[in-house]
Amino acid sequence: MKTLILVIIITFLLLPICAFGGVSAIDTPNDDGESITIIWNPDSIPSNNLKLTRVKIERRTSSESGWEEIGVAPFSQRTFIDDAADDGIDYVYRLLFTGENGKALIYRTEAVHSSAQIFNTKRINVLIGIIICIFVLLYYIYRSQKGRQFYVRPIPGLQAVEEAVGRATELGKPVLYSAGRGNMQRVATIASMTVLSSVAEKTAEYNIPLIFPNNDAVVTAVAQEVVYDAYAKTGHPDRYKEDDIFYLTDSQFGYAAAVDGIMLRRKPATNLFMGTFEAESLILAETGNSIGAIQIAGTDSTIQLSFFIVACDYVLIGEEYFAASGYLSQDPMILGSLKGQDMLKVVVGVLILLGALAVTFGFTGFLDIFSIG
Amino acid sequence: MDAVGGKRINIRHIIFILMALAVALPLIFKLGLPLRVTDEVRDVYGFIDSLPENSTVLISFDHDTSTLPEMVPLAEAILRHCFRNNIKVIGLALLAEGAAVGDDNLRRIAGEYHKEYGRDYLFLGFRPQFTVAILSMGEDIAREFPRDYRGVDIHNYPIMNNIKNYKDISAVISIADGDMPLYWINYAQARYGVKVIPEVTAVMATTMYPFLQSGQLVGLVAGLKGAAEYEKLLGKPGLASKGMDAQSTAHILIVLLIIVGNVVYFINRRKMRI
Amino acid sequence: MLRKLPLYICFVFGTFMLAQFFIPHPVSTALYKMVLDWVQIIYALSLLVGAAMLIKHHTLIASKPVAKDRQYSLIVLFGIFIMIITGLFFGRGNKTVFLWIFNNIQAPMQATMFSLLSFFVASAAYRGFRARNAQSVFLLGAAIIVMLGKVPIGDMITPYIPQSADWLLNVPSMAARRGIYIGIALGTIATSLRVILGIERTYLGGK
Repeated sequence: MKTLILVIIITFLLLPICAFGGVSAIDTPNDDGESITIIWNPDSIPSNNLKLTRVKIERRTSSESGWEEIGVAPFSQRTFIDDAADDGIDYVYRLLFTGENGKALIYRTEAVHSSAQIFNTKRINVLIGIIICIFVLLYYIYRSQKGRQFYVRPIPGLQAVEEAVGRATELGKPVLYSAGRGNMQRVATIASMTVLSSVAEKTAEYNIPLIFPNNDAVVTAVAQEVVYDAYAKTGHPDRYKEDDIFYLTDSQFGYAAAVDGIMLRRKPATNLFMGTFEAESLILAETGNSIGAIQIAGTDSTIQLSFFIVACDYVLIGEEYFAASGYLSQDPMILGSLKGQDMLKVVVGVLILLGALAVTFGFTGFLDIFSIG
Repeated sequence: MDAVGGKRINIRHIIFILMALAVALPLIFKLGLPLRVTDEVRDVYGFIDSLPENSTVLISFDHDTSTLPEMVPLAEAILRHCFRNNIKVIGLALLAEGAAVGDDNLRRIAGEYHKEYGRDYLFLGFRPQFTVAILSMGEDIAREFPRDYRGVDIHNYPIMNNIKNYKDISAVISIADGDMPLYWINYAQARYGVKVIPEVTAVMATTMYPFLQSGQLVGLVAGLKGAAEYEKLLGKPGLASKGMDAQSTAHILIVLLIIVGNVVYFINRRKMRI
Repeated sequence: MLRKLPLYICFVFGTFMLAQFFIPHPVSTALYKMVLDWVQIIYALSLLVGAAMLIKHHTLIASKPVAKDRQYSLIVLFGIFIMIITGLFFGRGNKTVFLWIFNNIQAPMQATMFSLLSFFVASAAYRGFRARNAQSVFLLGAAIIVMLGKVPIGDMITPYIPQSADWLLNVPSMAARRGIYIGIALGTIATSLRVILGIERTYLGGK
């Protein structure tokens, strides 16, 4: 009984300098382990006019007796991350709050250990978004496979490809194709290969040269395959010239200079710019314009669209360019995914409308649904 | 067609000569036009100013040599600001040509402020495959760049003592002539939460505006004008301030050309109707 | 099977990279780092492929005595040779021949190409901005305001010009741009999914 009373007295005496209230330590959420977050709430810590300014953070394992200093933080910071913890080991933290006059308050946390998480819960909104996208796209691909016909509106830029290649044939001049600056990882370059395949089929049929100067070695190799396959498909593999699909340079303006030179020397009747373009877009398109070539451009680079619109005859804007793949191939699976894209656009439109209304009426919490951790 | 082509070439020649004069003359004869500092440049300046001493920023020289007249003033202004405020700078390049330029810029401006290589600044060099490089640095910078531009193990430098990944970096500044800042936004900002500051050519500025408005960027310094505004805030007029008169006259010439082009168009249209 | 293998690889790695975004566990991170390392290794090899392609292409042209434009290929081969020799044997650091060539030949040539933009912008503006109908009048007016508003002289004429320019860029232009961005983003998601699922195969070379 005496011992119990002694313990209670000592506990009460120590309370002002050693307490759990207002401070806590938790395993840092949504991380790959080895990290513990120490939290203090300045409002819950009775500062007794000490004017607390900084916090010294110390730790020890459950089995150790001595404290190890791991950092110092401003009092107003509220949190400190110990990213030198070992997973599975229990740590106790001691926080020494120091005031302007040098006096300190000491707080201690309960034992806590760090661990790695399997799932980042702050990204659940992204997961839901992806699941919705996948579901919608797969649903329309499935419907398309089952024979449902989807309408794709005529895209003037793609309709003009046939006419442009025909004009080159009439004039007996080559067609020049450029995929711009993108590498094979860019979706715009992948879309460009589909358009290239369709163009190559036409140049193979009409027996006119297709020149494809390139900015990326991998794209060159892929393009050679794509063009050869297209020539073989039309029954004219003998007309395929590997030398006309060649790698130039990785340099942006080195590429622009070389393509300009090719245009001025070989005078193509048709220029097709399909891919990712940067500042070189206007240099290419204006040179093409000066030699009187018919020019069609398609790009995902919004800033270059304005340059292409001024200097080219037809331009594929925004997702028109990505629709080219389905439009040219008429592949039901790709057409299905196009329809899915349209439905997703409706979903995005509704969310934008809801967001605008919510924020207008002060429900800013709606925005938090879309923040990513 | 030939006649039309011939006529067009003549007009083009005149336009080209006028443009050359519009750019060259103000560089010779200074006009000294006043400059207003825009909010997006002020935001960047304010952010760098708010960083505590010894913070570290990552500056990526994501450009070719072709755009040096625009890129160098941008780089110089931000480097001067960082070094003046004792902020540590880790440089790198995600385009090959940016490596030599970045190294030169860093060394030169650091020299002005008597900064020491390895302690106050470091240049990591070039890495191809920028998407992968950006993602990889989010996990571990030393894994992506085990050695610096000079071939030395980066762990040997004191600047790297407390730097592991983006968590230890105050901001990434991408000095770019293309859309590289978008990759920094998509992969470093969205995925790892690091603050991104784009310093881009004027032509790329509008690409950045949606991200600026959505709060994904600290601010924006674009083109020679952005650099001149930054120089004004720094109180140290440099290369950009000198070029602002030329940019003004070039813009005025283009406006005049549009007006003349329309007058010619209406005269021709009227003639055709008659 | 050989044709299907790249599709399987694409599916496995595409799915893994997607899943990895949600899994912070060290096992997932370690695998992710390994994938990133391999992408760079493969890319480095593709640089060799590029160099080999370039040399092969220009050697073929240069070796044909009657080939048109043969001189350009000879210059390319000469340039490659000089840069390899100077870079490999005389270093690439400060005050080297390599850096001198880079700073005094390559950089000015590239800057010249970039500066051509100002001439092309001027001629394109002269030719392209025509007040053909009501929409093009709006476009033309907006272009003039933004051009003047983005240089000091606009502010000198009246402060309303830069203010109007900022409004045009931040409101109507931004609205249109966001619409295009959303379209592109959805197009990217759909194409990526088609690639992962093996529906889109042109990137493999042929359909």
